[in-house]
Parts: sequence; structure tokens; C-alpha cells
Amino acid sequence: MNLKLKAMLTPILVLLMSFSFGQEKTITGNVVDQSGLPLPGVSVVVVGTTNGTQTDFDGNYTISVNTGQVLRFSYVGQKTVEKTVSESTVINVVLLEDAESLEEVIVTGYTSQKRSDITGSVVKVDSKKLGQITSASVDQALQGNVSGLAISTTSGTPGSISDIRIRGISSITAGSSPLYVVDGVPVNSGSVTSDDAYGSLSALSGLDNNNIESITVLKDAASTAQYGARGSNGVVLITTKSGKAGETKFQINSIYGFQNNAVKDVEMLTAANRFELQAEAYYNDGYFSSEQEAQDYLLSTDDWAEWDANGRPEGNWGDVTYNKDAPIQQHSISASGGSEGHTFFGSLGYLNQEGTTIGTGYERLSASLNFTKDLTPRLKFSSNNSGTYSTQEAFLEGSAYFSSPRTARFFMSPLELPYNDDGSINEFSGSLPNPLYLVENDITENRFTRIVTNNSLNYKITDHLSYGTVLNVDFQLYNFRNYSNTEYGYGAATSGDATQYDRTNAYYVIQNYIDYNLELSEDHVFDFKILQEYQANRYYFLGGSGESFADSGLYNLISVGTPTSITSSTSDWYVGAYLAMAKYSAFGGKYILDLSYRREGSSLFQEDNRWGDFWSVGSAWNISKEDFMDNVTVVNNLKLRASYGVTGNSDIDENQYQSLIGYTSNYSGSGVAQWSNYGNDELSWEISKTLDIAVEFGLFQNIVSGSFGYFNRKSSDLLYDVPLSFTTGFSSQTQNLGALTNKGFEVDLNFNIINTEDVQFSMGGNLSTVKNRVTELPTDTNGAERTLTTTRTRIETGHTVTEWYMPTWAGVNSDTGNEEWYINGVDGETTTDYNSAASVFQGENGVPTITAGLNLNFRYKGVYLNASGYYSGGNKVYEGWHLYLNETNAYSTFAYNGYASLMDRWQEVGDEARNGKVTSSYSSWQSHSKYLHEGDFFRLRSLTFGYDLPLVAVEKIGMKKIDIFVRGNNLYTWVKDDYLEQDPEVDLDGVLGLETPPTRTISLGVNLNF
Amino acid sequence: MKNIKYIIGAVILFITACTTEDLDPTLSENKETDEAITSVDNLYSLASGLYDILTESEYYGRDLIAVNEVRSDNCFSNGNSGRFTTQSSFLYSSSNDFIWDNAYNLIANCNIVINQDLSTLEGDSDYGSYLQGQALIIRALAHYDLLKTYGQQHADGDLGVPIMTEYDGDNLDPSRNTIEETKAQIYSDVETAFDMMDSSYDDSNVFVGKYVAKALESRVAIYFEDWDRALAAAEEVINSGLYSVIDADSYVSSWSSDGGSNVLFELAFSATDNLSSSSLAYIYRYASDDDDDGYGDVQAMSDVFDLYDEDDVRLGILGYQLDGTVLRNMNKFPDTSTGTDNIPLFRYEEVILNYAEALLETGADAVSTLNMIALNRGEEAYTSVTKDDILLERRKELIFEGFRFDDMMRTESDVDYYNSTETLSGTLTYPNNLFAYPITDDEIDANSNMVQNDGY
Repeated sequence: MNLKLKAMLTPILVLLMSFSFGQEKTITGNVVDQSGLPLPGVSVVVVGTTNGTQTDFDGNYTISVNTGQVLRFSYVGQKTVEKTVSESTVINVVLLEDAESLEEVIVTGYTSQKRSDITGSVVKVDSKKLGQITSASVDQALQGNVSGLAISTTSGTPGSISDIRIRGISSITAGSSPLYVVDGVPVNSGSVTSDDAYGSLSALSGLDNNNIESITVLKDAASTAQYGARGSNGVVLITTKSGKAGETKFQINSIYGFQNNAVKDVEMLTAANRFELQAEAYYNDGYFSSEQEAQDYLLSTDDWAEWDANGRPEGNWGDVTYNKDAPIQQHSISASGGSEGHTFFGSLGYLNQEGTTIGTGYERLSASLNFTKDLTPRLKFSSNNSGTYSTQEAFLEGSAYFSSPRTARFFMSPLELPYNDDGSINEFSGSLPNPLYLVENDITENRFTRIVTNNSLNYKITDHLSYGTVLNVDFQLYNFRNYSNTEYGYGAATSGDATQYDRTNAYYVIQNYIDYNLELSEDHVFDFKILQEYQANRYYFLGGSGESFADSGLYNLISVGTPTSITSSTSDWYVGAYLAMAKYSAFGGKYILDLSYRREGSSLFQEDNRWGDFWSVGSAWNISKEDFMDNVTVVNNLKLRASYGVTGNSDIDENQYQSLIGYTSNYSGSGVAQWSNYGNDELSWEISKTLDIAVEFGLFQNIVSGSFGYFNRKSSDLLYDVPLSFTTGFSSQTQNLGALTNKGFEVDLNFNIINTEDVQFSMGGNLSTVKNRVTELPTDTNGAERTLTTTRTRIETGHTVTEWYMPTWAGVNSDTGNEEWYINGVDGETTTDYNSAASVFQGENGVPTITAGLNLNFRYKGVYLNASGYYSGGNKVYEGWHLYLNETNAYSTFAYNGYASLMDRWQEVGDEARNGKVTSSYSSWQSHSKYLHEGDFFRLRSLTFGYDLPLVAVEKIGMKKIDIFVRGNNLYTWVKDDYLEQDPEVDLDGVLGLETPPTRTISLGVNLNF
Repeated sequence: MKNIKYIIGAVILFITACTTEDLDPTLSENKETDEAITSVDNLYSLASGLYDILTESEYYGRDLIAVNEVRSDNCFSNGNSGRFTTQSSFLYSSSNDFIWDNAYNLIANCNIVINQDLSTLEGDSDYGSYLQGQALIIRALAHYDLLKTYGQQHADGDLGVPIMTEYDGDNLDPSRNTIEETKAQIYSDVETAFDMMDSSYDDSNVFVGKYVAKALESRVAIYFEDWDRALAAAEEVINSGLYSVIDADSYVSSWSSDGGSNVLFELAFSATDNLSSSSLAYIYRYASDDDDDGYGDVQAMSDVFDLYDEDDVRLGILGYQLDGTVLRNMNKFPDTSTGTDNIPLFRYEEVILNYAEALLETGADAVSTLNMIALNRGEEAYTSVTKDDILLERRKELIFEGFRFDDMMRTESDVDYYNSTETLSGTLTYPNNLFAYPITDDEIDANSNMVQNDGY
């Protein structure tokens, strides 16, 4: 980056140089609020100068001024007062409460706004709601609390990422995850691991959720256009806690609980079941003339004979690999406060969570310090710093890995016994080693260190003009360590093997901005902001592996006898942007007009296409502020708002636009060159145009409040990995082609039913829909649409993106016991030949089309009950591993293990069964609608029962608050589809994997303030 | 207040303008194609990259060889890890891309080398020609692999595969060429290569040398029964005097060492560059003899054992696992744990067998030629030779190397296929739609000029 001065900012320098000072006299005084209490931290400024101070702890101030100058006293939430200096040297002031300014201020990105001024679709979730979910990363707490937001846990392993889509999928092959912004600065989210096989570790887990004040979700163009090219998928703003002037407050939060699977795990076949099924399979296949004969044969083979001789024992792998009542504990202590000219918030946190799969867990240490200091009355410095160090005990869970303790329940035969008679681990031979031994002796560990420091200066040049600068550094260090022991299992053949790698991600963001407030008159108020931003992101990866150790328990690469690989790589990307925002508030906020424009450049595109323009227009009409509404007492708030704007998406890999020769392979001991990227000079931004209309209302003094909204987002120039004929040497090229729409309704309703001093009762909820359609796809030279078909999905215009597409299962033929499919894919004639059954669209994809949240809060004096629930549905989910687990073939009955529900199979003519006849042969992958299920479910996300001890009692022991509670998360889950045996909460691609399922947690917690 | 100026001054230092150049990404393990090829040395790196593509597990690293074996009467898939059962039972569907993507990726990389104008490159242009000759041979091999896999020669049709000869060309939606056109391109490429390569540059059999052009030509000519061409091409290799048939004592052990006088070209694998569990070795046998560890899906048909005389040294390739119940390829590509054995793609013995067959078909005497193999394998000498003798000798010599299915096809044989327990599932009569592999759906979807093979 070059360091040339920006001409546009030179005037500031000039302004700063022209400080003037006159004859002085000293004024002292005291500032109190309307109840007579002293107000510390009130800004006292000589109007028209840079001269100013603040009141101290007791509300006193001292300032040097000239007679005739005007002192301005201002304080958040109070009406500003101006006093002209006369002969007196003492000026005491009473500041009155400003009802209007007490209105909730919401962080909306680069600015903060009063709720009634907001023209876009913005949802704020406060720390109280966030605190109701006990989890390592804060995003899980958004589930059910934000309309239009679908979120799904990808795994129950602590620290894993969540999949989030705001208002559906806006892209086909580019990313669809929202942008995360912490304290005003865009940060990276997603998983920090570089190998999906070992599960995921969320970058957000590097933030302690106890330090988060609120999360704001921006959904429409008016609120996201300010983030330009990264705004299309929505923006999640995270605001960390800060201190307030006043005496130091201490807070201790502590929670301890136990976790179990939220939904009962799939029941698997027992050894006795398998004995029955194997004999039946041999009989069905014609090897024996009766099942009895087949059973006799089985009992003559080694494994079954041993089983029989030992009294037919059952190896229950599900039980031995399940960490029942896995403990979770989280503790934090914070101190906040401040005095003249500074505030602070500091915290220490600790989280320790075991997973419900044995050998997994997560531990985090965190510390933070947020500090502000008024360097002068006009120059404010603030610094938000946090550091976390976390360790995740992970395992191979990204796919069907045999050695994993989680997949043992699916793949280990119950004939293999986990333990010997003496209680020691059974080190049996065979293709699948005993995972209990591996859990104890192998290592799979992710370590993650994240340090974020966000520093800013804000200089108030005049009361209406200020300049600020922000420098944010986000440093992430990820270490991975994997070791297979020398004695038993996969490492034994090579005397152990080990892999380690480090990935360093360093991000920095620089922002410079000018804010200008223009009050033409009381009725015409303008706010302007111009901002410049530069973000640099650099990755560095270094790793190696080796095998053959001298002894067991060693895992560092220096101890290996044979290094097998070493690798390192770097990549980077950069974003530069200029932003201009204007807000016009007319007639006391009755009419609001919002404009924003962002010009953004990205290193992801070729020079000529690097810059894109994004903009939005938003408007609001606060009808309830109109005079004619004064007599309508029923309605206390009524607002119409509408917005339209253009945002972008550039969530693709680096260097896609370049035709590249890659140097990442080798042959016969030498590095080689290969054509690695096809390239596309024309590559540019993906564009979304969003219309958003809503009405917000409050009735009967907000006893009933809520909003109804509609949105329509048209995305075009999609960043699409357009399939190429393989004859080009490549399977696809990233191009800007195709279009899709997402539209839907969002409803929020809140009922504040009882609100007295002793009793409070409120209910709320939200419901949202989203309908996704592909409207345009690229065509080839003959005009044919380039659809994208996999064995399970297809992308075609007129359908949902990646809609399920496969043959339709017609059931089991009751005469033959064969599984059958419809030849035309819909109805009528059936066939037993899978390949001759037509694939058809099965409706919907894996992303929910309806989501809803419900919450209920009740309080009687100190006793309270909070509940929240989440409904998600309209999507379909597919069993990813049915070939091995849920078909009556040799995989589920001979090689691995199958679902117990396979016992519902065809046995003789006339049987109406879910599953076809058992066979001893292996079948091949055949995806069809039998394994596609409706994804609808409802979950009781949290239920908290607590007691806030009476203040009188608490104060006696020197405390300010003692709150004790019992909480249950995911206590109840309703699943619509009876044949869906796994937990319904699945990645938004809709494929049910073999990951650790979400957990049900019951915990006891306490909050102490003193 | 003076301090303020310093602070602001410091702030101003941070203020920067961001220009388009500030947003240039760094290239650290890539170079832009336009700038990457300026010398013959660069061409060498690209030519070497071709071999790495050949070693891919989906290609010669495993799948091409394994799929051809399980479709033949040599092997079947026992489905131990679920691999190759669909191919073994001829149940494959068009959702599988098999070698289509790998072979065309290879051809595109060949074309970068072939299309370079040598006069613009620094360095020894004769060596540049030699490297381009290598690329031509490999391009011919890739077209041949595609043609024998996807072409309709055994499915009662005349469609071959698209011929690609241009790097980054304009034809993004090519149609299929005919079998004859594809074959003509292959012959033309190997002839051009042979003429432009100076054999003095041949220095390693893990790279394609000049005579591989002729070995390949004889292989293709045998497949299409162009006997005169096969005869002439094989003769060129034999007359070079560079290679010899490996003797009986060394036959089995030669598979566990790299190189050898009988190897024209083999793919290099090593302790640091191997396919480990995706290797050919790992699919041919269980990791341990006593239990079904690992994959080991590709199992020899039980009757393969009976093909050999008891004195035939090639019996040493076979062996049993699981207490003598499972017949295996135990000694071709023997390193099961990591797959570090080189994979020979052109052995002199194949050229001899090609020559013998061409001799027989052109009416000449093949006895002494075939005896070059028989006498070096512990067999009794042939006194007369029939076509069946040659085919049987081919099967015994080249077993587990991926030749048998092609031989069955060109001799118009019906194919019996077996389920995972080696029970006969059915017989496919020649010709048959299933003898032409389906073209992957991804290609059909991307390219509307592409015609799918019948029956998919």
C-alpha cells in the first residue's frame, strides 16, 4: 500500500492548525440531573472553540473562558443547555431528561441510529437473549430470534461452525454466508480449520459471548449497501461491551451443566438381529434351502461360533462411544466503570465443554479490555482488545471415517466386543480398529489463538464536524496436530504417524471518516458521513507429516524416522472502498431519507473490472408523529418504510480471474508445472437488487407491537462456476452469469401483556418465508441451458437452486420383495432397474423456506420464567450414508451395521414392508426419494427458571444482584417426518451426515453483581 | 493542546489512498500463463507435469487399470470397501466421470507444450522438439484411453471422442469425432512424435522416450486390427535393441524394483510421492493377510490360478489371503501399505506379444517370437502358434495390468460378470451398449453438442 496523503483530508489539517486562544478567566460549577443527583462525565465546551472539559465524579467542573463566550453542557439522555459567561465565576446547571434521545439507539453499521429513524430491515438481539443459549460461539443464539434468518448447527462437537443464511441463498456457487462485523470492522467468520475431515472450528468461537453487548442483523439493501460487495448475504454486527462512567461494577457469571443428545440417536441392529438377517440373506440369495440351514452354517463359521459359545454377547458401540451427561461449564468475571474522561470494561472468561462423543471437547481462556479516554474534551481515543486461546479435541467427523468414535456406532459390528472380560480395551484385529483404544492413544487437536485489537481516534472539530480514524488488527493462529499411535490401529503399520500444521491469518483494516451534521433549521436536519476503508488479508500455511517413531506417545515431527510430506503456501486478498452516506430527517423525524453509496475495489477481479458501485435509497414515514395522529390514542407508533438498493457478493476464491500455471505438484522427485486455472478476465461482482417494504406499529402504548415486511431480492451476474466441457481441460470457469430471486414475508409480533411492578408477562414471535427461484442460467453456443446436475440435485431455471432431483421410490413389491421405482419418475409403471427410472425434481432444497421463533417471558417479583423456541421447515433433507446404513444389503448386515429399523423388511410373498428383502451382496450407490425426508422440526431452544433475590436481602451482604437459575436448552424436539431417524438439524445443504448431533443441555447458573 | 498536532500528524500518516494497484493479489505458487513460459526449461517443467496427471488415482494410478480388470474375466470386486462394485457388475451410470476429466485435463496440458512456438523460447530447441514429442505421445495415449473407454467400437456405433489439439482454443462445445477420425489423430501424433524426437535425449524410463511412440502405435494398431501397422511399429522397437524380455528368475522380483531392461516407460512413485490408500496395491489386496483390513476390493477370479502351468514363474504373482480363501494379485505392485511401486505402462513383453500377433495375422511365423516369452517364464516352448495361444499368453503375462478387457473386446468376446461373492450375475453378449462407458452427465450438461452413448 502506498502512503501518499489524501488530498481530500488536507482541510482537516488546516482546521486543526487554527486553534485560537483568548483572555481567560476561571469558571467553576456543578451539574446535576433533574432529581438533584450529580452528573459525572458531562461535556462542558466553549461554543465555537476547541476548549472544553468534563465534570468529575461529583458533577464539578472547572474551565477557563472569556466573558461573553457561551458554555454548552451536554450529556447523553439529557437536553443540552447553553449558558453565556457573565461576571459570575460560578455556573451551576440542572440538566433535564430528554425523552426523545432516550429512544433506543441501534448500531446500524458505520453509524448508529434511533429506532424510529431506521429505514431498513434491522433486527437487534440483546445480551439478555444471547445469554439464553449456552454455546462456545455466539451465533447459535440467533436461532429463532431473527426473522428471515435460517441457522443450523453443523455438528454437536463444541466449537463447530453454524450455517447461516439470511433471506435464503443468493448465489449458486459463490458463498451465501453473511458478513460479520465486530465493533465496526469487517472480520472473517467461518471455519479456521483447513481440513474439513477433522470437523470445523468457528472463528467466532474466538470471541467470548459474555463480552457481547448485542448483535444486530442487517437484512435489506438500505442497511447493507454500506458494506457494498459483501452486503448481499446480510450483515451480522457484533457490539462488544463497554464501561460507563461511575463506580466500578463487578459481574460474575457462572454456569455449570450437562449435555446429552437432543434427539435419541438412531438405534442400530444387534448381533442377534444380524444373525437373523444374515441367515435370511443367504436363504434369499439361494445358498441354502431354508433359513435354519443358513443359521446352522453361520454357527459353523468362526465369528458366529465364538459368539454362540460366549453366550451371544452384544457389543453396544453406541453406548461405549457416547459421553453421557457431558459436562459444560462457563465462568466469567468482568469489571466496568470509569471516571473523568475515561471508561473501561475488562473481563476474564473460561469455558470448558466436553462433547457427547467420547474424546471430544473444547476449552477456552479469554480476556478482554475495552477502554476509552477523552484525550482532550474533543479528542476521544478508544481501544477494544480481546484475546482468546482455545483447544478443541476433534476427530475425523467430516465424512464416514471408520476410526472415528462417532461413526463406531454406525460401522462397528456388534459382534466385536469393546472390552475384554477383565475390563481392558479389546484390541481386536480386523479392518476397523477399536476406537476406544484410539481415543485414548491417538491425538487430534485444533488449537486456536485469536487476538483482536481495534483502536480508534475521534476528533470533534466543531460540534457538527468530526473526523475519525480506526485501525483494527485481527490475528488468528491455528495449529493442528494429528497423531496415530505406534501400537495399534492405523499407525501401527508404520510405527506411528503424525501430521502438524499451522495456519496464520492476519487481517488488518484501516478506516478514515468525516461526520458532518447540518441543521438548516429544526425541521431540516442532515447527517453526512464519508469514509475510506482498506482491508488486507494474508494467509500463511505451513505443515508437514512423517512416520516411524522410536517410541509410543511421541508426536512431534522431529521424532519421526521418515518425513513423508512438507508443504507451505501463502495467499492474500485486499479490499479498498470509499463510502458516502447521507441522512435527511425532516419535521422532527416524521420523514426520513437515507442515501448511501459505496465504491469498492477487490483483488479478486482483473484490474479493469476491479471496482464496483453499490448504493441504496431508504425512506421512512413516522405516521404516528403526524399531528393528525395525536388523537388516535390506540396507536402510539406507526411507521412505513421502504428501501431499494444494489449490493454485491464477491465470496469466491482468490485469483480466479487469472489464467495460471500452478507449481504445486511433483513427479519423480522434481517440482512440475501444470495449467491450474482457466481464468476469466471478465470476472466481476455479483449484483443483488433488493426491495424491502414494511410497516412497524405499536398499539396501546406498545402492549402490542410488531412489524410486517416483504422483500424481493433479485440477484444477477451470479458468480457461477459455469460447467465447461471437460475437453477444455477444466470442469468449470467462474463467470458472471445467471440470475435468481429470493422473496418472502417477515412478521414480528410482541405482546406486552402484563407490565406492573410485581408481575410482567410478555410473548413474542416471528415468522418468515422465503421462496427461491433460479430465473436465468448460462447457455452454451446452441442456446441450451447449462444445468448442473449431481446424483441428488439439479440447478435449472424455474426451480429452487440445487433442488433435489432423483428417481422416485415406488416402495417394495409385496410379491418379490424388490425395491421399485417409477419409470417416469412420478407414477404408474414401476421398475426394479434403478438406471431405467427417470430422475425428477422432488421439490425444495436443503434450506428451510419457513422459519419461526417464539419467546415467552414471565416474571413475578424475583421469580422468572423465560422460554424460546425455533421452528424450521419447508425443506427436505437427505440421508447421506444410506447405502451403508439403511439398506438391506451386505454393508448393513455383514460388513458394517445398519439401522434397527431395517428389521421392517420383506420376508415372504404378501409382506408390506418398508425395506426390500435382505441380500448378502453389496449394492452400489442409488440415490432416490426413499431417503429424502421432510425437514420440518420444532425445537424448544431454551427454558429458564430463575430467581432474582430481593435487593434488600442482597444489599445486606454487599451485593447488588444475585440471580440464580436453572436452564434447559433443546429440551424438546418435534420432527415431522417419522422416517427421519437422525437429528433433523442439518447443514443447509440438506445432507444428513454422521457428525455428533446437537445437544440437550441442562444447567445451573448464577449471576452476581457487586 | 500542542500534543494534539502530533497525534493528528500520526493519524495523517495512516491516511492513504487506495489505488487499483494496491489491490493486486500476490501470486506465490502460481504464475500467470502468459508470463510462465519463456524457455525450454519452462517447457520441461510443463512436460514433467503431464506425468503427474497420469499418476492420478482416477487414471493410471488405479482406476483405469482396476476398472478394466474387474470388467474382465481376470477379476471381480468383492465390495470390501464398496469400491468397483458398480463397474464389476456393469451397473455404472452417467453420474460417474471416470477418466473423462483426467484424460482431457491431460490433453489440455499436452497442448500447452505442443502449441508453443519453439523459436520464441530460450534454450536448446532440439530438446524443445523432444519435449513436444513426449507431449504428442502422451496426447495420443490419452486419446486412445478415451477412445477405448467411451468409443462405440464395441457398442455397434461409429462415434469416437472429441479430438482436442489446441490449448485454450475457441471450440468450447466440441462434438464427438468418429472412431476412424480419432484413430487417425492418434496415429498421426505418434508418427510426428517419432520423427521429431532425438533418442539421444532418452535418459530415464519414468519419462516417455522415442520408442514409446512405436510401442503405443503397435498397441493401438493391434486394438484396431491394423496388422501391418502393428507389425512395422513393433519391429521398430525390437530393432532398436534397447530392450529385452526379463528372465524367469527375475520376473517376480522385478515388480518390487523400479526400472529394468524390459520397461519402456513406467510411472514413478516413491516414499514421498504415492497414492497410499488410493493406490493400485491397496485395492488389489488386504493390508494384512489374516483379515480384511484396508480395501482389497479387486479380487482375482478363482479360476485364474488354473491358467498357469505349475512351472510357470508367473504363478508367483498370485497368492492367497484370509487362510487361503481369497485369490489375489500379491506381487504386481506389491507395496500394499503405501503404494511406492512404479507402474509400468509399456513393457517390452507387450511389444513382443503385439509383434507375435501381427506376425500371425499377416501370415508369418510367430513361434520364435512367442517363445521369447514362454521360455523366459518356465513354460515349454511352443512348436506351433494359434491366435488363442497368443491371447492366452497375453492374459497370463499382462494380468492385473489393465489389458484383458481390451483384448476381450477386440476379439468380440461375450462377458460374464459376477457379484461381490463371485456368483455369476449374468452375461453380456457382444456387441453391447455397456461396452462403451457412459459419458459423464457433467459433460452432457455443459456441452449440448455432446452425444451420449446408447443405453444411458
